[in-house]
Amino acid sequence: MIKTELYEEVLFQTVKRGATEISEDVREAFTKAIEKETSLDAKRGLRVTLESMDMSAKRENPLCVDTGWPIFYFKVGNDCKLEGGFVELENAARRAVARATEKGYLRATMKHPLTGYDPGNNIGMNIPDFTYKFVEGDGIEISYAAKGGGSECFGGTRHRIVAFADGIKGIEKFVIDSFVASARAGAVCPPSVLGIGIGGTANVAANLAKEAACLRTVGSKHPDPTFAKIEEDIYNALNSLGIGILGGGGDTSVLGVNVEYAYTHIAGIAVATSTNCMIARRASTRIDSDGKVTIMKSPMWFGDR
Amino acid sequence: MAEYHLTAPLTDADVQKLKIGDIVYVSGKAFTCRSRLQKYIFDEKNVLPFSTEGRNVLIHNGPVIIKENGKWKLMSFMPTSSIRFEKWGAKSVDEWNLKMIVGKTTMGEETAKMMKEKKCVHVSPRSVSPNLWIDSIEVEDVYLYDELGRIEAAWFFNLKDIGPFIVDIDTEGNNYFDKLDGEIAKRKEKALKELGIDENFKFTKLY
Repeated sequence: MIKTELYEEVLFQTVKRGATEISEDVREAFTKAIEKETSLDAKRGLRVTLESMDMSAKRENPLCVDTGWPIFYFKVGNDCKLEGGFVELENAARRAVARATEKGYLRATMKHPLTGYDPGNNIGMNIPDFTYKFVEGDGIEISYAAKGGGSECFGGTRHRIVAFADGIKGIEKFVIDSFVASARAGAVCPPSVLGIGIGGTANVAANLAKEAACLRTVGSKHPDPTFAKIEEDIYNALNSLGIGILGGGGDTSVLGVNVEYAYTHIAGIAVATSTNCMIARRASTRIDSDGKVTIMKSPMWFGDR
Repeated sequence: MAEYHLTAPLTDADVQKLKIGDIVYVSGKAFTCRSRLQKYIFDEKNVLPFSTEGRNVLIHNGPVIIKENGKWKLMSFMPTSSIRFEKWGAKSVDEWNLKMIVGKTTMGEETAKMMKEKKCVHVSPRSVSPNLWIDSIEVEDVYLYDELGRIEAAWFFNLKDIGPFIVDIDTEGNNYFDKLDGEIAKRKEKALKELGIDENFKFTKLY
């Protein structure tokens, strides 16, 4: 039985880490982008962004002023036992978000969609958001992702049903057009991690796209060569456009392109995109049934990637 | 591409020399604004409780500020997207006599037209680097805190050489990103062609 006190502290520390430290894979992608950048202006922009991100870890302050939608992903062992059960896990996650807001790791960003009421703690109807995946085992892996307003609001997240007649070309055309429009003037805070969901109903595709953007290890490849080829094609195409950091021009427009898929209906192919901003904030922690806590480098939400 | 270090309040002469693509650093008095403030003033017809004379730099920003030992402490700062405030952009430039808007994602035609008329520029960051800025920003005061909340209140900042920002709308109404759009579109056509998608590609219409 994993104690409430333990998982609540892990939740808080995971939120704090997600808000104040960049992941190793994102850091590596940034370092590579700095090395190969030929625009001096963009190179400076990338360099000072990385400097600032590294300072956030030391100063324990938010990586970006927009600390995003608070989103939790729980990968749960089939035999996992939590004190108070999963209702209490979600309550503890809400308390962790409120505490992180009070400490200034998160900005009080969540508000009522109609009245604009600001609860001041990022807690409200259906927020934070929780997603579960069940696997063999008795532990739990907790991932926290912060989805920024820029990356979500300016067309980086959208969907279209593509006809089988249009196939891969239709998918690639939709994704590339969408990204270019959304990255104009830096709206989605490029260089982005671009997630693409293919198949399922529209919401399944949208969820896969979000998970591909927020949870996949940056630089990983889909194990199926057909999907890996789509990732590579879109990555190369977008990085040939010169959008650059915050859309002001430069060689790197995407840090990664990640595709995930589901089987679809014979009637059509739902395609969804989700961009994550350059900081691509997330953190993951594993708790074993004996209470052992392990900080994870990457969520490994999709198993090996 | 020139580089300028300006001190607010800004004059017409300060901003008229700026051209799109120039780099600027800003010092002096500024205030923050998000949509809630503009809605409160322009739609809900309230009176701005302070004067923008002597404080004519507006920053689109919702900072992270906490109270520590009775004093405001700036935890994070990053200019935010201006385009969603387009509805009130021209009015803000006109009625508040702004000389500079610091934001992101540039602004639309209406605001650019007013900027040309009133001599005002829009500038954007080239990095997401709050830690390089927060030490150089002094929180002087806050207005409308109770009415609009901590993020959307009007914070008074005293800036010390904050930048670099790129001038993306100048006082002639030119837009840096419009210029880039054309170059990106050409490269996109080439990239699509390499993927076997020619310019006549049409989606099968499903709805």
